[in-house]
Amino acid sequence: MDKRLAVESLSVAYGQAKVLDAISLAIPDGKITVLAGPNGCGKSTLLRAIRRLHTPRSGRVLLGDTDVAKLSDRDLARQIGLLAQSPSAPEDMLVEELVRLGRYPHQSMLQPWSPKDADALEAAMFGTGVAHLRDRRLGSLSGGQLQRVWIAMVLAQETSVICLDEPVNHLDMAHQIDCLDLVSRLNGEHGRTVVLVLHDLNLAARYADRLVFLKNGAVVAEGSPRELMDETLIARVFDIQCRVIEDPVHERPMCIPMRNSSPRFSA
Amino acid sequence: MKPAVKLAQLSRGMGALIGIAAVFVVLALAGVAFGSTWIPIDQVAGVILGGGDKTQQIIILQLRLPRVVAAILAGGAMGVAGYLLQKITRNTLASPGVLGVIDGAALGVVLFLALLSDESNALVTSIAWQPVAAAIGALTAIALVFILSGRQASSAIRLLLFGIAIAAVAKAITMVMMLVGPIYRTSQAARWIAGAVNEVNWGEIQITAIALVPVMALVFLAARKLPPADLDEVSARGVGLNLPLFRIAIFVLSAVLTALAVAFVGGIGFIGLMAPHLARLLVGRSITIGILGSFLVGAVMLVGADLIVRVLFAPLEVPAGTVTAVIGTPYFLFLLMRKGRTHG
Repeated sequence: MDKRLAVESLSVAYGQAKVLDAISLAIPDGKITVLAGPNGCGKSTLLRAIRRLHTPRSGRVLLGDTDVAKLSDRDLARQIGLLAQSPSAPEDMLVEELVRLGRYPHQSMLQPWSPKDADALEAAMFGTGVAHLRDRRLGSLSGGQLQRVWIAMVLAQETSVICLDEPVNHLDMAHQIDCLDLVSRLNGEHGRTVVLVLHDLNLAARYADRLVFLKNGAVVAEGSPRELMDETLIARVFDIQCRVIEDPVHERPMCIPMRNSSPRFSA
Repeated sequence: MKPAVKLAQLSRGMGALIGIAAVFVVLALAGVAFGSTWIPIDQVAGVILGGGDKTQQIIILQLRLPRVVAAILAGGAMGVAGYLLQKITRNTLASPGVLGVIDGAALGVVLFLALLSDESNALVTSIAWQPVAAAIGALTAIALVFILSGRQASSAIRLLLFGIAIAAVAKAITMVMMLVGPIYRTSQAARWIAGAVNEVNWGEIQITAIALVPVMALVFLAARKLPPADLDEVSARGVGLNLPLFRIAIFVLSAVLTALAVAFVGGIGFIGLMAPHLARLLVGRSITIGILGSFLVGAVMLVGADLIVRVLFAPLEVPAGTVTAVIGTPYFLFLLMRKGRTHG
């Protein structure tokens, strides 16, 4: 995979308000990169800008040597997949119909549904364990099942890069782990480059190969979870005092929040 | 196993479509056979294929066939316009009527008739411009609805609310135009606004049919992009569909279809609402079959409505649009109430 994803001094603004300020970032190939930071730090905006859902005020996103701004909608969709933060589809849509939409960018007037599309569809459904649900309506699924189906759709797109915007937001603990295990397995088995936005710092530290901390629209720090899970750094970025200890099961650093370090909530 | 299931679903849709087509053919023939004198179906078929005696030829080819063909084209176009609008707004309450497109088109035609007629009430320009006037009115209405909905144009509820408001404004202006306009034009416009197929002639049908061909071709081209349009905006872009742009294209197509339906036949309400529902209920979720089904169901409804007014109110000529409105209004209320329950 020579199409390395890189962000070059990218700035994004909503009207006058700058949301991202000259961000530069290299996304390692075939690894899981997690964007983390407090609310409003710009992590979701960065993910969406990478997938060209925001037009940058300046700077660019490079995929290999190509500026993603120059790609057609379809070409981009064949190279970067995206799972939206709160995706929605009609309740009476069938599971297979939704996963099938992942093949949309691979089709055209001259390229109708092909055996290759069918293979990708089956691989995505079996890979995410939703094949037995194929004839169910979306409205009849549980939250965890539904999220798997959406991931299957993105997987069927067969992109080298997959972006997921807070994929475990509405899931309970078991389904959060289930979902992220799935993402990490897809990364391991298929070598897909994964960019994740996660709220929960401990989940971030557990699944990330590379962790990026953002605050006020800028990258504060980036590195391995072991480098970034530092009490002083977390206090600075997240405004919270914490203890970082070793997760005895997964041998990853984990943080125990203690008290808010900023004066705004103190008595 | 799996392809067999797919095939079964598809053939169920196809079967339903063939059923609708059969009803359509029977009703269309009945539409020609019924009238002040009953002409047996076999003789109707004979005349259409070039036989029959002189009187029958005049009755069928000059009086009855045009109104049936006009009803087919207008009802069908309305059905497809409604199908597209319901699909793109992901809301089953959307239709050309509710979104203000019909009243916009009506206003366009009334303005056209008022401004481009001379003292003796003759048009100073070609009648072929009438659909263009309707299209300008329809497009203006949908553009206003879209612009007023602003950044939340993806919210169906907002679109519907502004649609109802724009429809009311267009209707009011039309009323004023009719009150201040010449008497002859006023009575003509009144019938036309209720939606009547009886005064349509072959020339007008020709214009409609010629315009419908490329528009329907565009509809089938756009149909390929409709599946991802079922998703939210971000997910749709994720799979490579620029949904905001596509949404505008679909609104334009539906407005043009509505204008073509309305231009000579008038504001037939509620077909654009009911036909796509019924079609989806019968043929399922397949899009191409859904479009064809909506066309046929829309055609069946308007041909049927025209047949009803002819049988019930003869020798009076009551506009067919009154029947669709009488059936359509309670249907709309029913949908509203059911929606209220499921979301409440």
